[in-house]
Amino acid sequence: MDAARSARLADLIARTALADQQAFAALYRETSASLFGIALRIVRERALAEDLLQEAFVAIWSHAASYAPAKSQPMTWLIAIVRHRCLDSLRRRALDTESLAREDDQPELDIASDEPGPAELLLRGADEHSVRDCVERLEGGSKQAIALAFFQGLTHAELAAHLREPLGTVKSWVRRGLERLRGCLEQAGAIR
Amino acid sequence: MNLSHPDRRARLQRLASEYALGTLSPRARRRIARIAARDPIVAAALREWEWRLAGLAEAVPPVTPSPKVWTGIREQLGLVEGGRTDQRASWWSSLAFWRGLSVTGALAALALGIALVSLRPEPAAPTIVVLAPPTGGPAIVATAIPGTRDLALKGVRPLDVPAGRTLELWALPDGAPPRSLGLLPASGTIRLALPPGTLERVPALAVSLEPAGGSPTGAPTGPVLYTGRVERML
Repeated sequence: MDAARSARLADLIARTALADQQAFAALYRETSASLFGIALRIVRERALAEDLLQEAFVAIWSHAASYAPAKSQPMTWLIAIVRHRCLDSLRRRALDTESLAREDDQPELDIASDEPGPAELLLRGADEHSVRDCVERLEGGSKQAIALAFFQGLTHAELAAHLREPLGTVKSWVRRGLERLRGCLEQAGAIR
Repeated sequence: MNLSHPDRRARLQRLASEYALGTLSPRARRRIARIAARDPIVAAALREWEWRLAGLAEAVPPVTPSPKVWTGIREQLGLVEGGRTDQRASWWSSLAFWRGLSVTGALAALALGIALVSLRPEPAAPTIVVLAPPTGGPAIVATAIPGTRDLALKGVRPLDVPAGRTLELWALPDGAPPRSLGLLPASGTIRLALPPGTLERVPALAVSLEPAGGSPTGAPTGPVLYTGRVERML
């Protein structure tokens, strides 16, 4: 994301913290479509994704003062708020429907067929040494597991079912993948 | 679980990365979020991983949400279009108020009705308090959050709080002793729920330096570091 946009979003968040409603409205206009795309991909249900987006923006209004520009990019902060809300909601629903899920070991993955899949998303506009590039370089199993977990909010158990691999294998793919990812990004940082 | 201990670094990295990725169990997620709230090393590890993975999320194509999401947000927060809030609508639109009104008779109702018309359009302007020392720039900026009784305080520069002491926020009513509104962290940044009507009735706030745990007497005992007037921005 370009620096000018980051600076503008950080300014809108700072003004939101001072209860500036126009800044809050502008922040919503600028970021809601990106954040909604992310939420929709994780919860896969429009009405629920809209409820969660609403909850997230209520939280953004209330906690804007806790955003520290020196510590994270504004979009990173906003994405984290939305993703964690979506993940919490998915996990709550998974608990509610645990018995149903056991009968159907194939997790529901009904994203519209013209939507890019996780693997394709990795390749979209990936700069060399960017996180997408680093994920792309991982071994097959790790790459698939991390992309599915990130883009679709799958748990270890759901990943195992989806990839038809033992739970332990999937867990170690995720763990090793994240370790390699860190190494790759640190190396990329050193090159830059 | 002391995750910031050097021996546990690898474990912290693993938990933080899986937290950001989203594969931790709900219990583990809640637990690590709670630890991060009081351990800055853990918080920094989580932030670092959120940052590393955020680049993935930016590849997701945007989708415009329905307009009812924004309407819902505004309603939930009590915000109205045009940047005003409708906190003041609540008392005169309440059933109890009109019930009381019905016994005062039609003429009185008419008179009150006229008075209400003149009261109603007053917008609830943002209320802020800039807390500053007698000489020098602002130390803490406080903003009333519309639609709530909450005051959001933000330290705008490092505050010098000696070990074993704490900052305490006071309401300074006209002609009455100061009333404690709560303790502040050394950062000066916190959100506090105020007793109803505090900012409407009190002309100024102050911050004093008190022993840890707050003033033992219920009145400020240490030096008053910062004061500020309650200002309504029109």
